[in-house]
Amino acid sequence: MGTRGRRHHWSALLWIAPAFLVYAGFVLVPLLQSVQYSFYDWDGIGVATFTGFTNWVDLFTQPQLVRAIVDAFVLIAFYTVLPVGLGLIAASLIRELKPGPFSTVTRAALFVPQVIPLVAAGIAWTWLYSQSGLVNQVLRAVGLGGIARAWLGDFAFALPAVGVIGIWVMLGFCTVLLLSGMGKIDPTLYEAARLDGAGRFHEFFAVTLPGLRQEIVVCITFTIVAALTSFDIIQVSTQGGPGFQTIVPGVAIYRLSFLDQRVGQASALAIFLTILVLAVILPIQRLRRER
Amino acid sequence: MHHTSHRPVVARSRRVLPLVAAGAVALLALAGCAPGSGGGGGSAPTAISTDLGTKPVTLDVMVTTPDVTLFTALGKAFTAEHSNVTVKIESQDYTALTTNIAHLLSGTDAPDVVRIASFGNLVKDKLVTDLDPYAKAYGWDKWPQSQFASTRIASDGVQRGSGALYGVGPGFGLTGVYYNTALAAQIGMTAAPKDLAGFEDLMSKAKAAGILPFVQNGKDGGTAYLLQNLQMDYAGSTTTVQDWNNDKPGANIDTPDTVKAAQTLQEWATSGYLSPDVNAVDQTQAPGQFTAGGGLFFASGNWQAPGLDSAGAGKFGFFLFPPLKAGGDYAAMTAPDTLAVPSKAKHAAAAAAFLDFIQTNKQARQDTVDLGGVVPAGPVDGSTPTTKDGSVVGATVTAFNSLLKSNGLVDFMANATASINVNAIVPQTQLLIANQVTPDDYAKALQAEYTRELGQ
Repeated sequence: MGTRGRRHHWSALLWIAPAFLVYAGFVLVPLLQSVQYSFYDWDGIGVATFTGFTNWVDLFTQPQLVRAIVDAFVLIAFYTVLPVGLGLIAASLIRELKPGPFSTVTRAALFVPQVIPLVAAGIAWTWLYSQSGLVNQVLRAVGLGGIARAWLGDFAFALPAVGVIGIWVMLGFCTVLLLSGMGKIDPTLYEAARLDGAGRFHEFFAVTLPGLRQEIVVCITFTIVAALTSFDIIQVSTQGGPGFQTIVPGVAIYRLSFLDQRVGQASALAIFLTILVLAVILPIQRLRRER
Repeated sequence: MHHTSHRPVVARSRRVLPLVAAGAVALLALAGCAPGSGGGGGSAPTAISTDLGTKPVTLDVMVTTPDVTLFTALGKAFTAEHSNVTVKIESQDYTALTTNIAHLLSGTDAPDVVRIASFGNLVKDKLVTDLDPYAKAYGWDKWPQSQFASTRIASDGVQRGSGALYGVGPGFGLTGVYYNTALAAQIGMTAAPKDLAGFEDLMSKAKAAGILPFVQNGKDGGTAYLLQNLQMDYAGSTTTVQDWNNDKPGANIDTPDTVKAAQTLQEWATSGYLSPDVNAVDQTQAPGQFTAGGGLFFASGNWQAPGLDSAGAGKFGFFLFPPLKAGGDYAAMTAPDTLAVPSKAKHAAAAAAFLDFIQTNKQARQDTVDLGGVVPAGPVDGSTPTTKDGSVVGATVTAFNSLLKSNGLVDFMANATASINVNAIVPQTQLLIANQVTPDDYAKALQAEYTRELGQ
């Protein structure tokens, strides 16, 4: 590299510096501190004792913590698989609509959950799910009163019920993103496909889906991160219950650090969660590349 | 297409990554080695004073949101007596205060008086003031001492019931059973049950008449009140629970009495004495369902009493959970609305004077009942707040005073450790009620979590 390139290099660092310092101060340092805390027994205030890998061993031997991690993966089905799948269908349908008030309202209605604070959403859903709530009213109205129950208090249905809240939140985001992706697909491709005699079904798999590769990966990444790190909706709607049915890592970390005051154990779980999230989403990024 | 530009970016970021990591490690090294600062300030003040002087003082009081009305009134009454002291009331939501308290008290802007939900490690970390010198100066040490038992903490910072005094408060919670008088009349209930069998008889009558026996909040631990009362009934004594609550070495709740209590509660659930959605009902929904006539009984605390009275005089009654056999000792759960003085309080003397005032002043004691729904304890000859005849508030005050004399007041099992409630009592009781755990395993699970938490 010549002197010119080098100078360019240093001035670049100068430009990066302010943002980097903020990032380092508020993200990197706390992250590394968490790594450090995970090897200590510490209540957050008093004297910390070095305990080696005890906190890490506990992660994999305490059934409640193991369960939290398993639950998070169950949530991926609800936060990722269904919203992306349904989002593709919804976006395809909306694209067919003529631009106008109906299409705008549909889009807005699907996107509204994204702008509602999750805590408020959690409270609203506890009402919907209660014994006399709207969900059960609808079930009774259509003659399915037999399956009406307090969904969030039911041992079999609490986690899926929380998952449905996740679908509701994520669907709008996925739909809007996929819709904007569809807008970028060259219309001549559709025309060509039509001329080749492709039906709507074929058109979707031959043109739409490949054209949305980037957007789908973004949707999957975003929703998986949301599923694995979910906290607010669950803390508000079920508080981890009934029993231990809906304990996810976010709830476990909160309890460990603020109620148990076991900052070391909480840090170990948090760091493990970070590694887990990266391990799941990094391979997915490969899908972004064109084959 | 722009896709091609991705590879170089990735490659460059790979080169930068070690650099970033190295920088961050260096930053961390600068921050010092082990986390934690070690001991804070001293906890006992060296010289205490009961003289508030004449200089203007602003007393900073941090309470939980529902208590703001009560403390605003108490603050005004205090200023009326000490004109140089202005009481500033600040509040946080109960959960927020529980989660923030350690940091609030270790920070530079600690309040002078703070509401404590659970002491946790606050004593061990020297964040709260030993109030014994003030207790002596103000004569609290001459009062019935059982009222201070749950806020005395031994020097290990864990064991409660003995040691230095760290908290006092305006009043005490008290649990019992509310009943709907109209529904009670329907099943011919004319008086409070005298024993457990009589109580169960009323439940079965209600069930037979198509009335739900209990409206109860199982989502956040209301069902555990029934469990604890049943345990104390079968044990015929409160010692096991008290020792357990006080974290006495070797305390064990996994006893035949606990198993039997769990069995009974499970039977109540299977008999339909609790609603099928009990595990989804929280403590904001339950009182609403109860006032709307959703069930005959509601086992809860005196903090519900003002609300029930305002729903209609004479519509609801209150009785203490009956003993196993008629004539036996009554027991109920209680907990003080604990206030502590942070070690970093700027006006400790004024804080202590305020604490003395709210326990002894006639108007303050009346406000405590009227606005807080809780009962003041204080000195033997302390003024007795007046209550309306036939009100449930009046019934809870009477019940509290009789239990104070008979030593029937016991702390909640939920307060045994900072997180036993969320980690074991609430989830295990939910499992028990849903028939997902046997009474034997229930008792074992409570003890296992307790041992694990105290062993840390």
